[in-house]
Formats: sequence, structure tokens, C-alpha cells
Amino acid sequence: MRARWFYLGLAFVFSAWVLLPIYFLAALAFTERQEVFAWPKSFWPETLSLETISFFFGVDGVWRAVRNSVVVALLTVVLALLLGAPAGYALARYRFVGKDAYRILILLTRAFPIMILAVPLAVRFIDFGLYDTPLAVAIVHTALALPFAVLITSSLFMGIPKELEEAAWTLGCTNLQAFTKVVLPLALPGMAATAIFAFVTSWNEVFAATILTLRERTLTAFLLSVLHESPLPFRFAGGFFLIVPALVFIFMIRRYLFTLWGIASR
Amino acid sequence: MAGIRVDGIDKTFGEVRALETVSLTVRDQEFVVLLGPSGCGKTTLLRIIAGLEHANSGSVYIGERDVTHLPPRARRISMVFQNYAVFPHLTVFENIAFGLRMKKEPKEVVREKVERAAALMHIETLLQRYPAQLSGGQRQRVAVARALAVEPEVLLMDEPLSNLDALLRLEMRAELKRLLQSTKTTTLYVTHDQVEAMSMADRIAVMRDGRIVQYDVPIKIYQEPTDTFVGGFIGSPPMNFLRLKLERQRDHTVAQVGNLALPGPTKREGEVILGLRPEDLEVSPQESTNSFAAEVLVVEPLGPHLLLTLSLNGQTLKVTAAPDLPTRPGDSLWLRPIPARIRWMDPESGQAIR
Repeated sequence: MRARWFYLGLAFVFSAWVLLPIYFLAALAFTERQEVFAWPKSFWPETLSLETISFFFGVDGVWRAVRNSVVVALLTVVLALLLGAPAGYALARYRFVGKDAYRILILLTRAFPIMILAVPLAVRFIDFGLYDTPLAVAIVHTALALPFAVLITSSLFMGIPKELEEAAWTLGCTNLQAFTKVVLPLALPGMAATAIFAFVTSWNEVFAATILTLRERTLTAFLLSVLHESPLPFRFAGGFFLIVPALVFIFMIRRYLFTLWGIASR
Repeated sequence: MAGIRVDGIDKTFGEVRALETVSLTVRDQEFVVLLGPSGCGKTTLLRIIAGLEHANSGSVYIGERDVTHLPPRARRISMVFQNYAVFPHLTVFENIAFGLRMKKEPKEVVREKVERAAALMHIETLLQRYPAQLSGGQRQRVAVARALAVEPEVLLMDEPLSNLDALLRLEMRAELKRLLQSTKTTTLYVTHDQVEAMSMADRIAVMRDGRIVQYDVPIKIYQEPTDTFVGGFIGSPPMNFLRLKLERQRDHTVAQVGNLALPGPTKREGEVILGLRPEDLEVSPQESTNSFAAEVLVVEPLGPHLLLTLSLNGQTLKVTAAPDLPTRPGDSLWLRPIPARIRWMDPESGQAIR
């Protein structure tokens, strides 16, 4: 009984640790200016208004940054899946020399600090004329999202029995048809989870986005550059708008993440 | 419809030789069972015929066509897998229709053929369900219906019943046999279950260590095993093997079985193995002619007959007897081998002596 209360208390503290800042962020993003500046703050906002949010979107450059963020994230999703799924499939289905080394190498790319990579990349991108384009940022974000895309899809494909593909072959499918007609539909929920993961990775990334863009800022990069000189309401609204997509997506893929981790979902 | 011919197939997996120059001919409309213990290469041979594995050398013919280098889809075969391999994201109808749709058959034809195949397997009422809503036996029926719907030249089955429970297996066995007799589809069927092989096959190919050791009709395989392996693998309980000394007497030989002098194979010396099926001995409580005595060790009443374990000079043998035979462990019984059923084998190679 004692232990139970202890764990409940612990769970409460941890939840509050994560949820309270999010709550305040949301609460203050939806109130009026005076209340944002007020001190001490009340736990329950006294007024509800869209004033802060509309002010935020009224600032010059915000919409453009949002659009860039979405474009970059979608490009990242497409690239990560197009490159990651075949690699995951190869890891799941074929035996080849250096397979284990390859698997570890994929993870090691995440260990390589992007700070060191960013400056030479910026120079390269200027050479190629890619600098300050959403595509440039998307390429770097793909590099970040790819390891997870490969490993998640490979475990997805491993969960699909090879006999299903073989049955499709004997029933008249080419390898590609068997993949699109049998493997892909079965892998789709997991692929969606992979896509969302890539989206969130890209949406939240700030460092590469800041280095590689000047005018075509993504939302994170834009906010980073203007935040310290902005009024408080703008900061709250910006912060709120940054975490919303991540939260929504996490809830959407929760079920798939659970199955991926072997936790039964209800 | 077409026969199958495989010619000199070799297959290695790394260092392991899975198949050693295997040749096999299956006639049109024939039901052939590949039988052997696990790891004997029977599934590998089936998969090579299906085109799912590639042989290191040798060729595969289906009908008159050389399909050695063709992909599975071009071989006009269909296959039933051990774990059913029913597509979980498609309804039963779409599963059965899958091969027909790949052939781009018109809608009407697809519907008609799916319904016919479903009726054959008695799953007409399940067509709109998903595989997750089916039992194992029903899924197996879907898998067979799917394989038959495309009207293949050759049907390949890889241990299709081994995932079913015993009662269902018995039922499906008879049903499959009836079905394949009526559709007259050339079938190659892999199993490690000798009862399944005996009961269903037109001919059985017994495999061991990547070779076919005997290929014949079931009754011949049973009564005239080519070596001690086949005799021991087929039949439950397996064939008895007694090691005996041969004595040469002028132009013939005599093998001493206890107190019985049995005429042995001519042109032989030293030791031989006597192979006798448990039911190929007549059991009698009293001394009788052409019999030898043995001591009862265990009596197992199995219903239709008694299974006796007896000892003869330190060698054990299993014999079936009438269920009403009054006997107890420690008794002496007289056993008369039926002359026509006696098999002699070489003690070194295990090969039958003809």
C-alpha cells in the first residue's frame, strides 16, 4: 500500500514536471497581453482571447517560416521513406557481407555532431546553389531522420513473414508487385509512424536550419533568431505553436510506438 | 496439367550439401509425397521446383518446359505453405482471387472461379471474412483454395497439415485426398509424417541426407524397404532388425533365429540383418512349427491389437498380436515369421539383399 502511494506520487511529480510548463505555455498563449506581463501569475487564466496568437501570426515572416517548416518536414518525410524503407527491407530480408557493421554504422551517423558538419555543408551548398533553400535543410534533416527510418522499417519488414511474399510470387507477382501488393499494405501503419517520426525530427530541428538558411528560415530557426528581441506574448505564442505539432503527432503514433516496443496496445 | 521432372539437382547452403544430384519424375496427375526426417532436403527440393531457391546445378522441367531459370510466377505452379501464408490484409475472397487478378482475368471469371474453389474447400460462407477471424483449419482451407483457384499445372504443398491439431489433420488428410483425386492436379507434397505419406500418396520418395533413397508406391515402400533407414522410418512401430550369424551349408545358408534355422540369402557370409515388420510374425502361446521362442518383456494393449516387446538373445523386437492373447511379461511365446515378408539386409551398408 505504501509503495503504491510512493509510485503514484512519483508519477505525479514527473507528470507535473513535463506538463506544467506546457500548460502555462498554452494558457498564456491564449490570454490578453496584460495578463502575460502580470506577476504573480494566476494558475487559471482570467481571460481567454486569441489576441496573443493573432499578434504572433501578424508578425512579418511568421507565415513564411511556417510554410518553410512544413515544406522541409514533408520533403524530409518523403526522402527518409524513399531511402530508408529499401534499406530497411534489405536489412530485414537479405544476408550480405558486413550487414551487422552496416547496422551499427547507421546508428553511428547519429553520433557524428552536426555542429562540425554544418559549416562545411553550408559551403558545399553555396557551391551547389542549394544554400538558403528548403531542399538544403531537408537533405540535412533526412540525414538525421534516416537512421530511425531504416531501423524502424527494418523491424517492420522483419515482422512480415517471408512466406507471404513467396506466396505472392507463386501467384504471379514480380518482386516489386509482391512488395506493393502484400508487404506495403501490411507495413503501412508502421510506415506512417516512421513518417511522423521523420516529420517531428525535422520540425523540431533548429541548428542545421539556422546555419543553412538566411531568408528562407524554418519556424524554429526564425523563432531562434527573433526570440530574444521579441515581447513576451510573442514568445509564448511561438513556443506554443512549436510544440503543438509534436504533441499531436506523438498522440497519433503512440499506438504504433507501443507495438514497436512490444507493449500491447488497447 | 503436366508432370514434373528434376534432373541432377545439386544444392549447397554454405558448407552444407542440402541436395546431392537428386533426380525425380512425377507423372501427370500423380500425387507424389516427399518423405523424410527434418533436414533431409525435401523442402529445399520443393522450393527449387517452385523457383523460390536456385539449384547450384541441374534442371527442372514442368511438362515439356525447362523452367530452371524461370521465376516462380512464370512456372504455372502454385504452392501451399506450412504456415498457410494467407494474406492478412485481404478478405478470404480477395485471397482466393489474388492469383486470378494477377492474371488479369475478367471480373465474372474471377467471381466464378473463386466461388468454385471456395465450394471445393467448403468455405463459401467465409468469403467476406478476414484471415484473423478464421481458425487454423479454415486458414489452411483458404490457402488450398487460393492455390487451386489459378488452376495450376502443378500443385506444391509444404507440410500443409503440420500446424493443425491431430483430429483436424486426420479430417483434412482424407479431404485433401478426395479433392486432389477429383481435380486431377499433379501434386508434390512434402511431409515428415509417414502416416500422411502412406495414406495419401500414389508414390512416395523417401529422402535422407539430401538424396532420394527409395521411390515407389506406398505398399512397396512399406513391405520392401530398400534399406534399414526406410524400414525404420516408415511404420509405427518400425521394422524389427535382428543381427544374425549365417552358416554355410553346401549350396545354401542358414541363419539361426533362437532355436529356428531360417534359410538365409545365398552368396552371403558372416552376419546379416533380418528385417521383419511387427505384424509379419504369427504369435502362438504353444510350440509350433517353423517358430522361435522369445520372452515377453512388455505388453501394451492398444485396442485393435496387443503390442508386445519381446527379447531374443538380448535383442528386442516388437510384435503385434490378437487383443485376446493371454500373455504376461515373463511368458515365452512362439513366433513364426511369414516367409514371404522376410527381408535380409547387409549389416554394414544397411542395404537390402535381393
